[in-house]
Amino acid sequence: MKKGVMRPGHVQIRVLDMDEALKHYVDLLGLIEMDRDDQGRVYLKGWTEVDKYSVVLREADRAGMDFMGFKCVSEEALDELHKGLTEFGCEVEVVPEGELKDCGRRLRFQAPSGHSFELYATKKQTGKWGLSNRNPEAWPRGLQGMKATRFDHCLLYGTDLDRTLELFRDVLGFDLAEQVLTPDGKRVAQFLTVSMKAHDVAFIDHPEPGMFHHASFFLDTWEDVLRAADLISMTDTSIDIGPTRHGLTHGKTIYFFDPSGNRTEVFCGGDYHYPDHEPVTWDAGELGKAIFYHDRQLNERFLTALT
Amino acid sequence: MHNNNEARPDSEVQTVHHIALNEEVESFKASPDISVLVAMERAGQRLIPVGCRGGGCGKCRIRIVQGEYFSKRMSRAWISPEQEAEGTVLACRVFARSDLVIEPDPPEIGTSCHAADQSGQ
Repeated sequence: MKKGVMRPGHVQIRVLDMDEALKHYVDLLGLIEMDRDDQGRVYLKGWTEVDKYSVVLREADRAGMDFMGFKCVSEEALDELHKGLTEFGCEVEVVPEGELKDCGRRLRFQAPSGHSFELYATKKQTGKWGLSNRNPEAWPRGLQGMKATRFDHCLLYGTDLDRTLELFRDVLGFDLAEQVLTPDGKRVAQFLTVSMKAHDVAFIDHPEPGMFHHASFFLDTWEDVLRAADLISMTDTSIDIGPTRHGLTHGKTIYFFDPSGNRTEVFCGGDYHYPDHEPVTWDAGELGKAIFYHDRQLNERFLTALT
Repeated sequence: MHNNNEARPDSEVQTVHHIALNEEVESFKASPDISVLVAMERAGQRLIPVGCRGGGCGKCRIRIVQGEYFSKRMSRAWISPEQEAEGTVLACRVFARSDLVIEPDPPEIGTSCHAADQSGQ
């Protein structure tokens, strides 16, 4: 049941070198720089996104994800979610308005998976980049690189998937759209949605909590994914795997790494989900096909190269 | 032959260094403008595990037993200041400045899923 959580709103990613990172996220991926703050953080977005930013880069001495934030429908819904999180047993930190530029108060908590998440309801809306909201043209000129349209989801590796599912389903109102089960019924992967998308956040079972696997960005077509692959080769960017298709969600995808080792995905397509849909289940014995539908073999790097 | 490819000037070709594993016969060549890890990949060898190639995931950790090198920033999740001072580095962030003798030192990274079982290795 919906609890007022609307969509993935932002992700803050740690990078080892900001200038190198911007070449990746702006020149190659095609995000647009929207702002910077006095901490040196850089705020980016995909061109179709209405809110001012969705990706925040922070230079640090280790790579990985600081937090992922979800936008909620209203400040009132945020108050209700605060109660639910506290009842669930989460310690909630209220991050004051303005800590991220042009963003209202944020409720920050840690999931049993070991990752920090945030809920917020207010962020400045600058509209789609380069387009008017009245009689808009098809797309803006001046986009760079892969022309990523939006921040779509994160895949996170961590602990205690069962309790993490309870938190996201019962407190935050997500649905379990897809899962991977072992023969004895243990869930080793869960793809959760709060929308019609096949995933808004996904988790894979991992012995170490709080690990970041990738942030994903949406492209319109398979041709765009192939063009992204061309750009990855043209720029000698570190590639993981692809272009290929996933069994899980059936998205068409390519994975590559930013210059600090954080994985990036661009993808198109994918299944849809309504709240009355039963979860789609893949058997762990078919994990290779579930992850890489064409190769049907899971590469070890996909499971263990994490930040 | 001359070309105008400034990315690989002739002068750099002459400064290629040999990277050898301690107590092993295998070695590969590394020019100073590409990381030790990428040099290994281009030589078609698998002496060091390959991960993100960006200093973030730790998979390509090695010890440099002998030789001069330049290193870029590496994630403190995998390389402490003490380790860095003692020559423990991530091969993807290290550039040879002389012939090197190295030892792989990959961290143990557990997994709850099993790629090896899937691929029959």
